[in-house]
Amino acid sequence: MSNDAVNKTRRRVLIGATCAVGAVGVVGAAVPFVGSWNPSAKAKAAGAPVKYNLSKVEPGAMVTVEWRGKPVFVVRRTQAALDSLKKVEELGVLLDANSDEPQQPEYAKNPERAINKEFAILLGVCTHLGCAPMYRPDVHAADLGGEKWQGGFFCPCHGSKYDLAGRVYIGVPAPLNLEVPPHRYESDAVVVIGEDQGA
Amino acid sequence: MNWLVGLWQWVDKRLPVQRAWDTHMGKYYAPKNFNFWYFFGVLSLLVLVNQLVTGIWLTMSYNPSAEGAFASVEYIMRDVDFGWLLRYMHSTGASAFFIVVYLHMFRGMMYGSYKAPRELVWIFGMTIYLVLMAEAFMGYVLPWGQMSYWGAQVIVSLFGAIPGIGEDLVQWIRGDYLISGITLNRFFALHVVALPIVLLALVVMHILALHEVGSNNPDGVEIKKNKDENGIPRDGVPFHPFYTVHDLVGVTVFLFAFCFIMFFMPEMGGFFLEYANFEEANNLKTPTHIAPVWYFTPFYAVLRAVTMQIELGPMVLTAKFLGFIAMAAAIAILFVLPWLDRSKVKSMRYRGHIPRIALIAFASMFVILGYLGVKAPTEGRTLLSQIATAFYFAYFVTMPVWTTTSPEKAKSKVSWVLSGAFAVIFAWMGFDYIGGDVPGLLLGLCFLLAIIFAVLPILAARDKDLPEPTRTQAKGLPGILVAAGFALFVILAVVPIKAVASEGSFNCGAIPCDHIETDMNDKESLQRGAKYFVNYCMGCHSAKYSRYERVADDLGIPHDVMEQNLIFGDQRIGQLMEIAMKPQQAKVWFGVVPPDLTLVARARSPEWLYTYLRNFYKDETRPWGVNNRVFPNVGMPHVLIGPQGLLECGAGPKLNHHGGALRNDVGQVEIDEHCGALKEGKVKGSLSQAEFDEAVYDLVNFLEYVAEPIAVKRQSIGYYVLGFLVILFIFVYFLNREFWRDIH
Repeated sequence: MSNDAVNKTRRRVLIGATCAVGAVGVVGAAVPFVGSWNPSAKAKAAGAPVKYNLSKVEPGAMVTVEWRGKPVFVVRRTQAALDSLKKVEELGVLLDANSDEPQQPEYAKNPERAINKEFAILLGVCTHLGCAPMYRPDVHAADLGGEKWQGGFFCPCHGSKYDLAGRVYIGVPAPLNLEVPPHRYESDAVVVIGEDQGA
Repeated sequence: MNWLVGLWQWVDKRLPVQRAWDTHMGKYYAPKNFNFWYFFGVLSLLVLVNQLVTGIWLTMSYNPSAEGAFASVEYIMRDVDFGWLLRYMHSTGASAFFIVVYLHMFRGMMYGSYKAPRELVWIFGMTIYLVLMAEAFMGYVLPWGQMSYWGAQVIVSLFGAIPGIGEDLVQWIRGDYLISGITLNRFFALHVVALPIVLLALVVMHILALHEVGSNNPDGVEIKKNKDENGIPRDGVPFHPFYTVHDLVGVTVFLFAFCFIMFFMPEMGGFFLEYANFEEANNLKTPTHIAPVWYFTPFYAVLRAVTMQIELGPMVLTAKFLGFIAMAAAIAILFVLPWLDRSKVKSMRYRGHIPRIALIAFASMFVILGYLGVKAPTEGRTLLSQIATAFYFAYFVTMPVWTTTSPEKAKSKVSWVLSGAFAVIFAWMGFDYIGGDVPGLLLGLCFLLAIIFAVLPILAARDKDLPEPTRTQAKGLPGILVAAGFALFVILAVVPIKAVASEGSFNCGAIPCDHIETDMNDKESLQRGAKYFVNYCMGCHSAKYSRYERVADDLGIPHDVMEQNLIFGDQRIGQLMEIAMKPQQAKVWFGVVPPDLTLVARARSPEWLYTYLRNFYKDETRPWGVNNRVFPNVGMPHVLIGPQGLLECGAGPKLNHHGGALRNDVGQVEIDEHCGALKEGKVKGSLSQAEFDEAVYDLVNFLEYVAEPIAVKRQSIGYYVLGFLVILFIFVYFLNREFWRDIH
């Protein structure tokens, strides 16, 4: 009988140990299957950082740059536009005026939400349901609330509004400010969208 | 825990989980005397699962169109994370599947597992094999390489041999006037959806039928005939846990061999992945040497062995049609094996001399056919393939003669006719080839076989089976007898092959290849090679499956250096290495489109490239004023004329087919006045010969790298995997020993 007891313990230990080693093998074998779902080199190449020469943008105008298949809005803000940012803050119509939500990299967490005040660089994807907002710099536009509208972005899908720094208005469906994509300035005129500043 | 038990009971009342487990695992009693040969069933199941899972994953990145298929396979090999591993698992798995299935079938033949009551198990198994061949064939078409294409062309054309409907049938299968993207699409659907479903259903039937009648064993004893008072076979053990732990040992050893091939020699010398298949399909150019993948070659050799036609009055049965019939019959005859074998005894352990020797000879002939199917035919090889084919059929057709239990039946009229027919066939073959260019050994073999079959009924009448035991035995045949049998198999397979093995041509055109060792770890050489490639080759040749960024990262070239020095035009670093030249323009300029070079080192070989690039010589008759000793009349100009200069033809030794100098009767070296050697001409190069060789080496090294950029990493992962399997083996070995220590 004692012999049987020894056998049972030894058997259990052996089964446990073999299962443990086998489990390592199964996890190892799963690596290529799981790993192959990551973006491929082709996808990464297509989503590579995009360089843009800002000197091509007229003051007050907006251009759309494509990065990772999404529109990136680049707005060259005039002094009047920068002044409007303070006005909307004073009007108290912004949901997250201080950009507390992490919708921008650390280096763009300032009232203008930009590295270089002059250029707003924003991901053109409405934080409500992903439509592309329209650029509406026309101050006091009658269809966008008249006196209160200081210029900004308006989403045609469900009527969300953002100011010229992409900050969302109160009382619209969108919950967050427009996202500022990672970007850095290669020189004063050339911005690289998709790479972090100082990286 | 109580609710878990409750849930389990709730399910089990509604679904026979426990009963299924007991029927097939926990209370399925398998004979306790399984040996080495009994691993191959579970191994085929393992490979099947591997093929299904990796196949599903490959489908995620594969593109089944004529335009995109080849590129998408390279996309999997290069751009998809671990895609190379998934693909190698699938390609190695395909060959492994056939290895284990062939051994599994041989096991069945050796121990009489097809005999009553297991006829249906055998027939389901044979059907699985048939479907597996269709599945493998269609899978091989999908990469859309040259071998895929021309293999499909040949196999589909086979159906054209059927009189009357042949041509229409071929067109219907293709869905086009040639093998095209349309054909590829339907083969893809069949390969990834239809046939796997059929295969799985058949596997279920195979196992259900087996578990109904119970497993055979090396002694051919029916363990169900000897049960204890509880109704449990005395010679059986429950499949689980005894054979689960037992099979784990076999699985681990198999995985070791599998991973060794996959990580260190995934092409398996051109047998698992054929070299010509690294070139994209081209419907206007057949590869110089075309052979099916190794697992089809025995039947392909049978097809080619038939060279005669039969005239029946107005009807002519062509060799093409008869070859097709022979090939189909070679597979079909296996289905009726259970009824050809008349013996009361199952296992070779208790069979007479003739069945044992015949089985060994059959296995040898099958291997010979497999070898011949890979090789280009010569007269000697054709004779050998005819001998082996005739023996293949003789084995089955005369089986009733030498397996019958009564001497009278062995010497009946039918017996004399059956074996006499083959005696005539072998004798006729021998006389037909007398005076031909065939080895005497083969003629001798013909007449020997003729004599054996002429007297077969007499031999068979004397040959007796041994008494079969009623219980399974602890020991099989004596080791010395097994070794002798194996030796006979090797001799019968190798000696005839050696007799027809001589090969007369060089691997590098008119000359033997110069030897080099490529070195994927020599980053400096690879960097120089990349530079030469971009400067000298990429004017006309692309490397369109490779990305600049990958090359830069693998070779340790900083991105800005790469962008400034090695990427021209407005291409970005993440892009594929394509060129601006349009194929149509190239066709006008060079007569042919310069091929893409990404995979040239895999399609040719590094040695070939190294020899080719150094053997241009002056030839005013050619459009570019140069010719090449490795690739005669090549359309490419001598782009390396700057560094190398222009060599000219000179006198040099004639070569024998081993690459040594040919000597005349008095031992002097024979001289080829025309172009035996190349010598320095009027146009001198900027590099010395040694420097130039070094530069070409660097270039070839780079081409070898770019053909399979993962190669170095593949091997280093391989070491870890093999190391892990060794550790796993130690555990499963002791686990198995623990369970089996008291069973004898």
